[in-house]
Amino acid sequence: MTDYIFYIFLDMAVEYFAGTIPDCIHSMRRHDTKKPETASYERLVFRNASDYHYMKISLIFEGGNIRLNAAHFKQLIISSLRELYGEIGAALPFDVLKFEENTLSAVLRVYSSALVRLWSALTLLGCYQGQPCGIRVVQVTPFLLALSGNSRELKLD
Amino acid sequence: MALFGDLNIVNTTDKRKLKNVIETAAHLGYSTVAINHVVNLQEKKQEIGKPTCVAELFTSPPTVQGKSKPIKIITRLTVVVSEASHCNELRTTSPRTRLYDLVAVHPKTEKLFHTACMTLDVDIIEIIMTEKQQFHFKRPPVNVAIDRGIVFELVYSPAIKDSTMRRYTISNSLSLMNIGKGKNIIISSGAEKPLELRGPYDIANLGLLFGLSEGDAKAAISTNCRKALLHGETRKTAQGVVHTMKKTEVPEDKEEAPASKRARTDDP
Repeated sequence: MTDYIFYIFLDMAVEYFAGTIPDCIHSMRRHDTKKPETASYERLVFRNASDYHYMKISLIFEGGNIRLNAAHFKQLIISSLRELYGEIGAALPFDVLKFEENTLSAVLRVYSSALVRLWSALTLLGCYQGQPCGIRVVQVTPFLLALSGNSRELKLD
Repeated sequence: MALFGDLNIVNTTDKRKLKNVIETAAHLGYSTVAINHVVNLQEKKQEIGKPTCVAELFTSPPTVQGKSKPIKIITRLTVVVSEASHCNELRTTSPRTRLYDLVAVHPKTEKLFHTACMTLDVDIIEIIMTEKQQFHFKRPPVNVAIDRGIVFELVYSPAIKDSTMRRYTISNSLSLMNIGKGKNIIISSGAEKPLELRGPYDIANLGLLFGLSEGDAKAAISTNCRKALLHGETRKTAQGVVHTMKKTEVPEDKEEAPASKRARTDDP
């Protein structure tokens, strides 16, 4: 979603600090319309620096004791993708990087172009094997490092 | 940026369930929540009653996650109209609708949709999500409604419950998008249980699915909700400028005559 734009300034810094400043001011005094030398810079645009997006999610059931292992969890997500997007959606390549059975929370990785599809399928998940359930998306980030800290659950003492 | 709002939480008689839903909404990050009283005038003996008292519900409302303020709870009325005679309640001079902060209408036929966009005094027009739209939207009434400041509402909890509803939801939203270009749209939950609520950014992503652009999708849960709220507040005023308030009686002081009537004693 975000563009990262890097501007690289070449030559301009060198010119400025090498003592050409008095010349510029002198020329500006005599001819106000004379333009100083334009600085040259090179613009590099990185659209979305990361190929993958990472999502931290947590599965919530209404009743108490549902036990899932990682394979069931992936199957759940694939079936939800199939319901919404059909076979092509079910073929969406994504990975479950981490899955915790006690808290039913997981970290998923998906290609950035497929993020909207996966996220909408997770949002519209309604039930699993007859049990009503829901998915709470805790964090979505293009960089894995951001998952280590969640500013919403920060406790400042 | 305007705060997130969910303007459709279905009112139930079970207070504990309602409290649970509102607490979940506060935990997910919604700053404003509207309790929706649905009245279907087609059924017999349905009258628009008084809204539930919000102060009774919570002695101290739950704090919104990420902010220090408590969640704001307002009341909303939705009238499901299927005949023209039902619209009498929604005129400006109706006494019962003044008790609610927001008034919404859910038209079932094309003629009623046209009336709702042009003349009825409402803030929100709810779009049918549970069945296939019988009529197509036309551009003129939709444009008039946008100029008047009325928002169109898309409800997403049927999409979570059932897969057939999912198809109707998406197809009705796409047809509205084609006509209205994505202006004045809000997306709300219509949740009866805490499990049917979704976080605000999830809903912004769903907006992309419904055909909105990224900016419009985010506005659908924040800016346009605020727009609807302000429209509801100004409904009780005259053109949004004059506002009447009940004033407590001040005991009259008979000793001091008003300044204009006092005799002039000092010389110019």
